Amino acid sequence: MEIAASKVIFYIIAAAILFFALLSVTSKRILRAATYLFIVLISTAALYFLLNYQFLGAVQIALYAGGIVVMIIFSILLTSHAGQKFEPVSRLKFFASLLAVLVGWALSLWVILSHPFVASSKEAVEVNMDSIGKALLSYDRNGYVLVFEVISILLLAAMIGAIVISKKQPGDGETNPDNSKTSK
Amino acid sequence: MLLQYLSLMRQEVSLIFIAVLVLICELTVNQRYKKVVIPITLVLFGVHTILGFVPFDGGKLFGGMFATSHAQALMKSVLNVGVFIILLQSVAWLKKEVNFQKSNEFLILLFSTLTGMYFMISSGDFLMFYIGLEIASIPMAMLAAFDTFRSKSSEAGIKFLLNSALSSGILLFGISLFYAISGTIYFDDLPLYFSPVSPLFALGFIFFISGLAFKMSLVPFHLWTADVYEGSPTIVTSYFSVISKGAAAFITSILLFKVFFNQLYLWKDIIYLLSVLTMTVGNLFALRQTNIKRFLAFSSISQAGFILLGLVNVDSLGVTAIIYFILIYILSNLSAFGVVMAIANVTGKEEIKDYNGLYKTNPLLSLTMMLAMFSLAGIPPTAGFFSKFFLFTDAAKGGYYWLVFIAVLNTIISLYYYLLVVKAMFISPNEQPIERFRSDIYTRTALLITVVGIFAVGIYSPIFEYIRNIIDKF
Amino acid sequence: MSTQILIPFFITAVFLVAAGITLAYMLSPKSFNLQKQEPYECGIPTVGVTWLQFNVGYYTFALLFLIFDVETVFLFPWAVVMKQIGLVGLVEILIFFFILVLGLAYAWKKHALVWQ
Repeated sequence: MEIAASKVIFYIIAAAILFFALLSVTSKRILRAATYLFIVLISTAALYFLLNYQFLGAVQIALYAGGIVVMIIFSILLTSHAGQKFEPVSRLKFFASLLAVLVGWALSLWVILSHPFVASSKEAVEVNMDSIGKALLSYDRNGYVLVFEVISILLLAAMIGAIVISKKQPGDGETNPDNSKTSK
Repeated sequence: MLLQYLSLMRQEVSLIFIAVLVLICELTVNQRYKKVVIPITLVLFGVHTILGFVPFDGGKLFGGMFATSHAQALMKSVLNVGVFIILLQSVAWLKKEVNFQKSNEFLILLFSTLTGMYFMISSGDFLMFYIGLEIASIPMAMLAAFDTFRSKSSEAGIKFLLNSALSSGILLFGISLFYAISGTIYFDDLPLYFSPVSPLFALGFIFFISGLAFKMSLVPFHLWTADVYEGSPTIVTSYFSVISKGAAAFITSILLFKVFFNQLYLWKDIIYLLSVLTMTVGNLFALRQTNIKRFLAFSSISQAGFILLGLVNVDSLGVTAIIYFILIYILSNLSAFGVVMAIANVTGKEEIKDYNGLYKTNPLLSLTMMLAMFSLAGIPPTAGFFSKFFLFTDAAKGGYYWLVFIAVLNTIISLYYYLLVVKAMFISPNEQPIERFRSDIYTRTALLITVVGIFAVGIYSPIFEYIRNIIDKF
Repeated sequence: MSTQILIPFFITAVFLVAAGITLAYMLSPKSFNLQKQEPYECGIPTVGVTWLQFNVGYYTFALLFLIFDVETVFLFPWAVVMKQIGLVGLVEILIFFFILVLGLAYAWKKHALVWQ
């Protein structure tokens, strides 16, 4: 009964993810696409909660739904054509990509479904904050302290790069500064 | 224990140290003394490069997440040599008024991408590999968009970012399928689970190799290359085409030999096909280019096809030939880019026809360019001949005669278009050739290093033996 | 946590929302008026594009927020096990922190934190 119940919930969430993901990529207005993406991300968080990954679910909501969607919306509003509708895709392109997607999807699905997955012999462990924290800071096998430290470099580089690119500089926006800006 | 960690990760630690030092300089040093930062960084990085060649024992850290050996240290050192030359070449560009404001940021971003490549090469599991890949590619997009005043540069940044995000997605899907099969992400555990090959493994492998092929810009995943190479600042283009490509080739060879070794019969056909396509299509497109940056972009695509020749036959000679080829490719391509950059810095000209009659006014630059072109094409006295020769030998040893035949045909085609540039410089008449100019000391040093390298690495055989010895022990 | 308990909640939630919408649709009086289609029922209709272009400052702020958001995610598990792991954990987090604080200092120096 319990398995059946979680299955039902899983399929409902999965259907929601699929449905809104499709809406997100087919929507003609970019801001609506962002909103649908938001729903997709929230539904994914629901999936994590269903799997009992509370921390991952919380991270998903805090980072993706809370941070990245806001970023996406800001960057959409940065452009001057936020309200513009997308041009409809040409018929040939539409059918070609549909064919590619369907073939790829069918192939992947067939291969994955026909694979005899062996159930893990390890016992399921409750993933709580304690074990996450220890794994994150552990030096041993299945410990992630190196990745943890290295990510700080990724974040630093991302921060510096973003500031360099987005910061206004004297002379930005001129039509052809290539000739005038060289100091020599 | 700390000492062991420091000694095994010394290249990573010292590179991060340099990057952090530059950042601290940017934060604290007065604008007036900012000029000093670049030479100091150069010296530090030079020391870092030389120290990288000091032999030391390999080992595994963090439960196998970080694995290093003599061979991996050598790969990093080869990249170091390239980055050092690029740093030398970038000084003139960085000192321009537009770029000087953000010269330190350029260095930091450059070092960040290199750190990512280090970790990628030394990764012992897919997580570390992926994080390394992201560190290598995200700052690279920012470097591509570095010329904020040019819309083409921003376009290059966005195109690179979107493409690398897409390829990362494809790659991650492949990794997730591997995880589904095995339940582990550690490189040393994975081969145990792959041995009877399942269709799922094949599917995962195709996704995985496609993702890597995107990064290496192999045909048919190369379409982003030309636009990104053309739009980026020239120094970044040379970084893309040399360092980034070299790192991707290194990591591909490591993974294929370490993780997917037993599935050789499965992937050798894929590599074969990619190699033939990449060499041929890259060449055919390079024939038609008129912009020298686009031209070098497509020629570098076809060079990546040659790198794959070393992978079809799994043995130590193959890896040796790849490292040797990349070292020489770095020297020759950077030599060509160095000339392009020196000219673009002074005149802003980037078309091949602008080079007409260059020999009359700038004989030394023309000679350097000619050497670079000869080396890229593989004409005997230059090192490019030897590197291609070893790759061909290795493939022929594995019985891939058709592949070698196609590669030789492609070499002949490439000879044609490389000689077109030489012809433009030496033979084509021009009423108003580029005026005579003198580059700064850094550019000249960089070009001198590359020219000496093009001769020395080819003729001085102990270098090949040195690489060979290291790889044999790998 | 047993998912079985969730079922009634889930069904009730779906039911309540669906019932609310359907009931409102069925019970409400319907009248059609062209003016109702306008964004505002009073005031002047807008001229041209009503989309407003944001300042780039928003983007920089959102990005900085996001990066420190990620940092918080990493700090949280550390904080939970801080006492058990002790000094080693502290050193690890200090390295992580140091590199990111450099980033913050950089943002500060470059006036990215100032609203322009």
